[in-house]
Amino acid sequence: MVVSEKLTLTSDAPGKSMFMLGNEAIARGAIEAGVQVYAAYPGTPSSEISENLVNLSKQMGFYAEWSVNEQVAFELAFGASMANVRAMTSMKHVGLNVAHDPLMSATYMGARGGFVMVNADDPGQWSSQNEQDNRVIAEQAYIPILEPSSAQEAKDMVVDGFNWSEEFGQIFMLRSVTRLSHGRGDVTLGPIKKEKRKGDFAPANRERFICMPAWSRKNRYVMIERLNKIKAAVDGMVYNKLKLVKGAKVGVIASGISYGYALESLRWLGMEDKVSFLKVGTPYPLPEKLVKELCSSVSKVIVVEELEPFVENHVALICQRADIRVKVYGKEFIPLVGELSTRKVVEGIAKFLDVKSPIDFGAIDKTLAETNPMVPMRPPTLCPGCPHRGSFYAINIAARKTKKDLGERVLNGDIGCYSLGAYAPLFSYDASCCMGGGFGVANGLAKGQSNPVIGHLGDSTFFHSGIPALINAVFNNIKVTLVVLDNSATSMTGFQPNPAAPTNGQPGLKAEEIAKACGVKHIEVVDCFDIKATAEAMERAVRFNGPSVVVARGLCAILDTRNKRQAGKKVIPYSIDQDTCTKCKICVNQLACPAILIENETVVIDAAQCVACGLCAAICPSKSILQGGK
Amino acid sequence: MVTDLKELNIIIAGTGGQGVVVLSELLGNAAVTAGFKVRGSEVLGMAQRGGSVFSNIRLGTDIESPMTAEGKCDILIAVEPSEALRNIQFLSKNTTVVLNIRKVIPYTVSLGQSTYPEIDQIVAKLKSVANKVIALDAVEYAEKAGNRQSTNVVMIGALFGSGKIPISPETMKEHIATKFAGKGADVNIKAFDLGYDIIKKQM
Repeated sequence: MVVSEKLTLTSDAPGKSMFMLGNEAIARGAIEAGVQVYAAYPGTPSSEISENLVNLSKQMGFYAEWSVNEQVAFELAFGASMANVRAMTSMKHVGLNVAHDPLMSATYMGARGGFVMVNADDPGQWSSQNEQDNRVIAEQAYIPILEPSSAQEAKDMVVDGFNWSEEFGQIFMLRSVTRLSHGRGDVTLGPIKKEKRKGDFAPANRERFICMPAWSRKNRYVMIERLNKIKAAVDGMVYNKLKLVKGAKVGVIASGISYGYALESLRWLGMEDKVSFLKVGTPYPLPEKLVKELCSSVSKVIVVEELEPFVENHVALICQRADIRVKVYGKEFIPLVGELSTRKVVEGIAKFLDVKSPIDFGAIDKTLAETNPMVPMRPPTLCPGCPHRGSFYAINIAARKTKKDLGERVLNGDIGCYSLGAYAPLFSYDASCCMGGGFGVANGLAKGQSNPVIGHLGDSTFFHSGIPALINAVFNNIKVTLVVLDNSATSMTGFQPNPAAPTNGQPGLKAEEIAKACGVKHIEVVDCFDIKATAEAMERAVRFNGPSVVVARGLCAILDTRNKRQAGKKVIPYSIDQDTCTKCKICVNQLACPAILIENETVVIDAAQCVACGLCAAICPSKSILQGGK
Repeated sequence: MVTDLKELNIIIAGTGGQGVVVLSELLGNAAVTAGFKVRGSEVLGMAQRGGSVFSNIRLGTDIESPMTAEGKCDILIAVEPSEALRNIQFLSKNTTVVLNIRKVIPYTVSLGQSTYPEIDQIVAKLKSVANKVIALDAVEYAEKAGNRQSTNVVMIGALFGSGKIPISPETMKEHIATKFAGKGADVNIKAFDLGYDIIKKQM
């Protein structure tokens, strides 16, 4: 059998096609553009960009790192751009909130070496705490946006983004969304830029690169002028395409991923050749000439875009200023909330054009409503053997004990795998806000009311943005318990290393040592699979009169299993002695471990899923759960 | 062998750990080799923690978006039976459903928060929408091929056995052989062939 040639992200094979994830295409674009410095903090849906670039950096001769948070990642990449090498960072939408501070000043200074900032929004909140539209932030920062409609465009836009960034001296944002980052498509490879630039930084650049009032007041004009130059160029960029249909009275404008939904919808409605269509690849600044050309040829237009009416508002403004009499529609027909789909767009455009929907979606809804009650719920959950399950179970035991004299506990959580413990039966969250908020908001909950407050977050989040709030609790002597759920990995996004893990030749930072250095007087470190010890430590911490820290340590179950497999260590699963099991179902009802099942009224452990953490055995009142069985 | 195919939508549904994403990668790569324009999409991240996993692969000259529209799925491959029901909005009378009958019971059933339907009920429900529903025990064939882990590849064999895919089985097998080097290749090729044959007989 002929084994087909295996193309990879580093294949020097211009013209060959490869099936790629959107995030892989973005990584390939960086490689083709000759990126020299890359830095990022993981976050769904952006993580695979960094996964690939970090893994391939050595082979391709560039620097790539997992940074401690998005602000540092942005700053590092910006510093490299100052030194005149090509630099890139990527982050999820809420990551840009963390990097917002340097962004707002970096834009005054602009890019020296090409600087592409990849921002992945998450419409529909597949894996996020909100669905903010970061095109708004780019506009606020005078940063031009490239918005791809396919994996191919994503790759090409990264390459062009680097070139344009150097040509115009400005940072370029590549705006992805979940469906682009986690979408796939055929991508034709381009050549790889092989020469590496020797960076430099001359102190003569002082006037440009010191953000102090005397200089940055002037640089604000420079920044505005840069955007004006870009504005004049976008009409000619290949990613903006206008198709005028003779005699058409209706126009459709679609940006980025929405282009596919809009075009397919028009085809499905049989309207493709009856309306004029503007495909937008630069939502900011918009191709004004093309917008005007379209809008002056029709009597009404509809803008198809996900989330905010960003393009819609700009189109309306352009037309109003140019005195073009056209009605601009958008969010009256296209949902403001959630991810778009071809169905939503077909329905919106059908209503806008007052034509019939191509199929009866009502019938589909009826089938769905009839079917839903039959479908078992399958929410994501803490893995079998997850250390957080032990920590949360122990917190609940401690909370039951302290409830009598201190009142009901308040659990304030954070962003990560452990958020899966928020559901029944662990209910490990009463509140959560943002990265680092697990500690920060806990400070305020402890000041705003008198019941005991436990703030918890993971090790990666602790290093990301938890430490300042810990210091704050010490500095202001706030009586709050802060728990670090230390599984030594950034697990939710794919087990990226963080400062807690021994890597890059350093032994791994210990949260307890940092807490000690921060002046915390009560610190305990526990093995979170030891329920009794963990529960006792949690209770002592809650009763301590001042800020207290518990580090609940246990390696991520997936990593632990992986390590054991690599070391050739056999995992002997637990099983239930059916002769002594009283069927009290405490293990089932209080742990919700996916490996513990009820089959024909009998509680059983699925040996294929059990990773032998022993948590169920530890809490079994009749001691019926045994490793390896009888 | 590029055809003038306008649009073909394949949805693969299953649960975390069933190799749904691997299937979509294999299928997409084979489609690119065969010269098709290809688009696809899946849910990564949260869904990996034992949740539902959904992937779709689309081929043809008329496709632009990464997502199949509701009512437009041509073939649904369900590596887990209840996951077929979860995606019923994509089906129409023109859909062929290939269903692995081995259940993966979610913890919500053990907790009494939801119930799991009988296979007969699932098939009946699917048949009320789609004309063709083929059920098979893919795990049994995977074990026959030599590894339970190849259940997903049995399903891809079944997909090709349906005759609905305009890609030659040989192209697909080349990609399977490239993906699983060494002994894994033989097992997976065998798994593919078993899935292919059993469905070809039923079509």
